[in-house]
Amino acid sequence: MIAREDRLPPRLRRSIFAVTMVALAYVILAPLTSIDAAQQAGLPLLTDKVWFRIVTTVLMFVVLASAWNIVGGLTGYASFGNIAFFGLGAYTVGALVANRGWPFGLALLVAPIVPALFALVIGLPLLRLRGHYFAVATLGVGVATGEVVNNVGPLGASTGLFLPIVRSDLLFFYLMLAAAGLAVLTTWVILRTRFGYGLLAIRENEEAAAVIGVNTNFYKVAAFCIAAALSGIAGGIFAQWNSFINQELVFAVSDNVQMILMAVLGGAGTALGPVAGAVVLELIIQTLAGGGSGSVYSQIGLGILLAVCVIFIPRGVIDFFGGRSKLSLRYFRQTLRETSA
Amino acid sequence: MSLLALSDVSKRFGGVNALADVSFAVEPGDVLGIIGPNGAGKTTLLNCISGLYHLDRGDIRWESASIRGLAPHRIARLGIGRTFQIVRPFPSMTVRENTAMGALFGRPGARLQPGAALSEADTVLDLVGLGEKRHYPVLRLTVPDRKRLEVARALAMRPRLLLLDEVMAGLNQVEIEQALEMVRRVRDSGVTIVLIEHVMKVIVGVCKRALVLNFGRILVEGPPADVLKDRRVIEAYLGQRYAREQERKET
Repeated sequence: MIAREDRLPPRLRRSIFAVTMVALAYVILAPLTSIDAAQQAGLPLLTDKVWFRIVTTVLMFVVLASAWNIVGGLTGYASFGNIAFFGLGAYTVGALVANRGWPFGLALLVAPIVPALFALVIGLPLLRLRGHYFAVATLGVGVATGEVVNNVGPLGASTGLFLPIVRSDLLFFYLMLAAAGLAVLTTWVILRTRFGYGLLAIRENEEAAAVIGVNTNFYKVAAFCIAAALSGIAGGIFAQWNSFINQELVFAVSDNVQMILMAVLGGAGTALGPVAGAVVLELIIQTLAGGGSGSVYSQIGLGILLAVCVIFIPRGVIDFFGGRSKLSLRYFRQTLRETSA
Repeated sequence: MSLLALSDVSKRFGGVNALADVSFAVEPGDVLGIIGPNGAGKTTLLNCISGLYHLDRGDIRWESASIRGLAPHRIARLGIGRTFQIVRPFPSMTVRENTAMGALFGRPGARLQPGAALSEADTVLDLVGLGEKRHYPVLRLTVPDRKRLEVARALAMRPRLLLLDEVMAGLNQVEIEQALEMVRRVRDSGVTIVLIEHVMKVIVGVCKRALVLNFGRILVEGPPADVLKDRRVIEAYLGQRYAREQERKET
């Protein structure tokens, strides 16, 4: 029933599908050329350290933007505190590996649980708030969680935590790829189940949802917990990948803003929108942020880009494919009217 | 046993007594009309029944059990559907999807899957006369059609009691006739109805009983024709002077 993608004309759908599959195949297979055996067999090397760094980061943001989308895009609650889930996931792995000597694989299994429980506890009171109040309250929780962690001695306090270095670009790449796949699949499944329709109903009119029988509190908190678990996985992988974490790295509010922008830019409320947004935005950031004065201009450019996007393509980039958005002057004038107060 | 019984229901907003000691009962098969001037507490009453507001005092019983303090979704699943005076559709969905949401979440028993809910929606849309517009996005509907959609979404829950909040307001004469016809069809399908209405033609045309609220209190209750002739009701609506003049003319 929300099969919005199905409105695409079949030919366009087939070509988009083909392009996606090729891109996916490249991303999945290209790293394999870095294996020694492949090099000895004379295959061209398609990846290097920078490639892994960028693509793994993109995938991490695919997870974060998709997770944010479940709360912000599907349920309509713009959370500025999702970074706390990422940070808690990272610190869960960090503490278990660095302090307790757990193997990374085992610690990663715990990484989604801690943020999900945290989401359950803060979600019950916070999700009673709406609109700006919810945004500000979650922002406060996000910042406060980071500050608390920054002052807990066993968690390294302001020094941070150092994890034993694991040198394997391939491992972290594929782990992050799996996490991204899980996040997108979760969203896709949610959009096709009763649960997803309940979230959409809450987004569109919460009181109407309640009086037709949607258990709004349960649904909201459940969505929050799912988003927290997914973000926690990304955080857990990041901790070991980077082998060092501190408050600035894993509780950065700017990262929270970034995941929101990615979801909104790509198309909030859709399964693939956040993916498109994360890929496009992160690649732009990586390209422009060359360092020096260039990075300043990139920030300005990013700001302008976002303002333009929010005004002219409020339904996100993904909506151009089969949605209502059109690349025409008339459509842009219409959205300008709709988005201005 | 009454289907729904309110006893001494009171609700305050700050210093305003929105409802004060309201007691009445709805029997199975009833069509009860609630009228009253603006601000009399009619919508507050519906919000209390459907659980959106908490009562300050009093009790509401559904069959034999109290539903006071139950969450709105629980009350909905007991079989109490409602519409909103200012329509509240889910704007990104089509007419059919909107209606299916009622079937998907509001049924008391077994859970429907999305596909089954959609075909259920088709049946209901035919009943309210929106069958041909089922694939419209909601935002393309006219006001009367949006009101019908409110009814359709509530009916898809298969409620035993339907609370209608001014579904006829803002409609023209022809549209009111059509809406009346729709309410009769719903009644004939075995649903008990409580409706808030300003259009007296509706109260007389379809209600078995009418109840007048004024300043949060029940003024009169009885057969619609008698209620509308009652001096206290005319006073409440049109002022004491008008009521006196009317009486003088009649004598």
